[in-house]
Amino acid sequence: MIETIAASKCPRCEAVVAPPAPYCPRHPVAMTPVALSGIGEVVTYTTLHAPPEGFRSPLHIALVELEDGARFVCHGSETRGLKVGATVAIEAIDNVYYFSHLGTLDRALIFWRRAGRAGDKVNAFARSLAKRMWKGRVRAED
Amino acid sequence: MPVFIAGAGMTRIGRRSEALPDLMAEAAHAALAAAAVDVPDAIVVATMNPEEFLGDGNFASRVATHMGFAEVPTLRVETATSSGAAAFYTGFAQVAAGLRQRVLVVGGEKMTHLSTPRVSELIGRSIDPYERSYGATMPALAGLITRALTQQGVGLREFSQVAVKNHGHAARNPYAHYTALVTLAHVMESRMVADPLRLLHCCPISDGAAAVVLTSAPTPVRVAGVGQGTDTLAVRHRHSLTAFRATQEAAKAAYAMAGFGPERVDFAELHDAFTPFELIALEDTGLIPPGKAGRATLDGDTALDGRLPINPSGGLKARGHPLAATGIAQIVECVWQLTGGAAGRQVQGRVALAHSIGGLATNNWVTLLERTR
Repeated sequence: MIETIAASKCPRCEAVVAPPAPYCPRHPVAMTPVALSGIGEVVTYTTLHAPPEGFRSPLHIALVELEDGARFVCHGSETRGLKVGATVAIEAIDNVYYFSHLGTLDRALIFWRRAGRAGDKVNAFARSLAKRMWKGRVRAED
Repeated sequence: MPVFIAGAGMTRIGRRSEALPDLMAEAAHAALAAAAVDVPDAIVVATMNPEEFLGDGNFASRVATHMGFAEVPTLRVETATSSGAAAFYTGFAQVAAGLRQRVLVVGGEKMTHLSTPRVSELIGRSIDPYERSYGATMPALAGLITRALTQQGVGLREFSQVAVKNHGHAARNPYAHYTALVTLAHVMESRMVADPLRLLHCCPISDGAAAVVLTSAPTPVRVAGVGQGTDTLAVRHRHSLTAFRATQEAAKAAYAMAGFGPERVDFAELHDAFTPFELIALEDTGLIPPGKAGRATLDGDTALDGRLPINPSGGLKARGHPLAATGIAQIVECVWQLTGGAAGRQVQGRVALAHSIGGLATNNWVTLLERTR
C-alpha cells in the first residue's frame, strides 16, 4: 500500500513542496494542492546521536525526493545499508512519516505500475503477475 | 559616502562567568578606546536570542544603559547566527547614508550557563518548523549536507583537516576559546554527532562579545563592500545542498559594491560552525575553484603560512561561536590582521573577507575590508 502525500505546487515556477504551503517559498503567489505518491529516492541521510528532547537516540533522518521533485524529511527505523539514490517508500504512522527500504517485489510493482501507464498489454500482464506474486507473499507472511 | 573602521575590540571567547551586558560593555569600551571616541552618535546591538538564553527583552536599551549610553540612539538587529554581520551592515548603512558619523556596533551572546541539549534546542528554533518537528537540529541538518558533500567526492580527511588547521590557528590567539592542538586522528576518532559529522567537526558553545566603531572620517581600514544573500528557511526546498545560494549572492553583492573580485582577497574569516562549511564557503565566495577546496586544505594553502590563510583567528571551530558576537569578531580579527595587530598569528595582506551564516544558510553576509595605506 503506497501512501498519498499532500503537497502544493507553485503555478509560476512549478515547484512542488510538501507538506503543503499557502505561498511558494520563492514567489508571492498562492499554491495549488497536489497529491504525491509516497515513493521516493534518498537524497541524503544522517543518524543523530544526541537528538532533541522527545526523540529516541539514535535518530535516523533522511531527505527523500518524491516523484515530482518535492523533497520530504522523514524518519527511518535504520540507515544501515541505506544508500544515496536508493528507492524508499514513505508511510505515515500517527501523522509522522517514516521511510522504509523497498524489497525487490515492491520495486517490481512500482516499475510495472509506472510502465502500465503506457497502456501496453505486456506491461498489464506483467503487472497482474506481479500482483499475484505480491498476494502470494502476503499470504506466506500470514 | 565611504565608511571606515576606527576601532575594534572583543572579549576573550569561551566559558565566561560575567553577565552578557558586562561582556558587551568590555568589547564596546575596548573598540571605543581604540577609535578614540568618547560617545558614539548611534549604537547597533546584535544578540540572537537573549529572550530565551537569558530571559531578557528590550536588549538594545538594556545594553546601552548598562554601558553608560542611555541617551545614545540604539537599536537591535537579528538574522539568527549572522546577527553580528547584520548589525555591522546596519551601522555601515547609517554612516554610508550620511545619517551618522560615528556608530558603535556591538554583538554578544551568553549560552554556557545552559545545558548543551537546551542550547541546541534554542539554536534549533531558527530551523523550519516542519523539519524541526522531525528532530532536525543544526548538527542534524549539517550532517545531511555533509553526507551530500561526500557523495560529490569530498573526503573525511579534507573536512577533518579544517579542524586541525583552525585549532592550530586558535592556539596562537589569546582571545580564542580553545588553545589545545588536535591531530587528524583526534578529529576522525571523536564521538559521532550526526553521521558523518563528529564532535571535533563542530564548533563549541561559547560566551563572548565583539565590537567595532564605524566612522565617515578616514582610517587605515575602509569597508569596501557588504553583501547579503538569502535562501529558503527549509533546507528541503533548496536547489542545492552542497553550495549555499545565500553565500553566493552575498559574495556577489559585496564584490559588486567593492568593484573587485575574489582575486584581490588576501585572507578570510569564514563561517566554519561545522568544518565542511569552510570548504563550501571557500567555493561559494569564489576564493577557490569549485571542487578544489578539500585539496587546497590538505595542501596547506589555507593555513596561516599558506597562500590564502583562512580563519587566522581559529574560526568558529576553535576561536569559538558566541552567535551574535561571531560576525563582528570575524571583522575584529580582519581589522587586527590588516593593521598589524595580530601578534603570534599575523598574516600579510591588504584585502580581507568575512563571511557569516545565519540559520542553516538562510541569511548570509559577506564583508570586504581594505587597508587604505
